[in-house]
This record gives sequence, structure tokens and C-alpha cells, in this order.
Amino acid sequence: MSRRCLSCREAFERLDDFVDRELATGERVLVQEHLEVCAECARAFRFEEGVLRSLRAKIGRIDVPPELAARVREALDRASD
Amino acid sequence: MDRAAFDRCLQPLLGPAFGYALRLCGDRDEAMDLVQEASVNAFRAARTFQPGTNFRAWYFRILTNVFYRSRRKPSNTVSLDDEQNAYLLRRALEAGGGWDGADRIAEAVMDGIDAEAIQDAIRALPDEYRSVAMLYFLETMKYEEIADALGLPLGTVRSRLHRGRKALQRALWDVARSRGIEVDLV
Repeated sequence: MSRRCLSCREAFERLDDFVDRELATGERVLVQEHLEVCAECARAFRFEEGVLRSLRAKIGRIDVPPELAARVREALDRASD
Repeated sequence: MDRAAFDRCLQPLLGPAFGYALRLCGDRDEAMDLVQEASVNAFRAARTFQPGTNFRAWYFRILTNVFYRSRRKPSNTVSLDDEQNAYLLRRALEAGGGWDGADRIAEAVMDGIDAEAIQDAIRALPDEYRSVAMLYFLETMKYEEIADALGLPLGTVRSRLHRGRKALQRALWDVARSRGIEVDLV
């Protein structure tokens, strides 16, 4: 029995899950094998991963108000009474 | 769970919880109120938390519910129907006339977009899509943990994240064009 190979369309349908690292092992292997032989799809996947990295970096960390921990502690103290 | 144990579990989450709440509501004072209320609610419900299970997911579920209850009406947001897969990729390829152009355009878009523009795009997402997207982007939660945190089926998390991410890409593209960022090379 010949090993299954994904078409470009089938690989592209799995793009989001692949980029999210949420594909089952077997599916991930099939996608990786397709990317090894298809330069267009490989470039598309790299593009999406790059956008995701940029978005994560831009969204980034937020300055947490220094008084937050004290406010929560005081609220919990009142709730404990 | 006694108070000391609860505090030990909660303290490391306060910063991330604030960041998540801020991305949901868009206001720092409100975000602090949400975190405070969620912390009290969680403390009062601590006996329902099962030791050994995911405290972070449990707490973020409480926080998300506090946020949803604070909303008096559905947010005025974009429709997420008909969002194409890989929106930014498609637009960049069309405008760039090929891969080299697309890469240059994507770089121009992402370099030209500041955090505030991204925040505005996030705020335009429907509440239920925004919460999924923020747990994914900010807390790097896996699908299963997001499902646990939001009390949603795994498939719902997956579809909301994918559609929300595409809507975000579309919004960023529109912002880039409106700001005159060079996106037309041909």
C-alpha cells in the first residue's frame, strides 16, 4: 500500500492547526512531508508563522499596575472576614 | 484550599490576568476591577476547585465570566463570516506580485503597525472571539487549556481562534492601508 501524500489544498487546510502546533502526530508528519517537497507551500507556512511571531511580539507584555496585588490582597482579606 | 494555598496559586497569575482583562475590556481601571472581582469570586468558590487540576484554566474561566457579566449588551463588532484562510498572505501576494514582494509588504505592514493599532483591532473582535484569541496570544495556552478555561468544546475553540486570527489579519491590513503604509508594489 502506498503511503498517503497530501495535496497542496489538503496541506493548506491544515495550516492553522500546524502553525498552532495542534495537529495530531500523524497529520503533522504528513504536512511536514508535503512541505519538504513543495516550495510554494513551505513558503506559505513560513509566512504564516512569521506573521504569528510578529503579532505575539507586538501584543507583548503589559505594564501591570504596582497596586494590583495589594488591592486583590485587601479584597481577599475582606472576603475572609 | 486554605487562604495561604490560594494566595500561592493566585499570585503568579495576577499579572497575566490583568493583561488578559485589559485586552478584553480596553481600560486599565476596569481591568483591575475585573481581576479583583474574579479573585474574590475564585476565593469564595475555592472549595469547588479540584486539587491537581489546572488552577490557571479554572481562574481564567472565572475571570472571563466576570467580564461577560459586566457587559450590558453585545459588543459592536465586525462580522466574522466569510473570512479567508491566510488573509494577510493572500493580500500580500496579490499586491506584491509574488513571494519577494509579498515578504516586503508583510514586513512593511508588521513594522508599521504599533501596539495601539493591534489593540484596536483586537477590541473590534466579538467578545467570545477576543477571549479565545487573547488566551492564545498572551498566555500561549493550547487549545485544550483554552477550552478548559472558557468551558467550551475543543472544536469551538479551534474555529473561534482561526476565524478571530483571520479577522485580526484583515483589520491590520486595513489599518496599514489607511495609514498609507506601502502595500502596493505593482
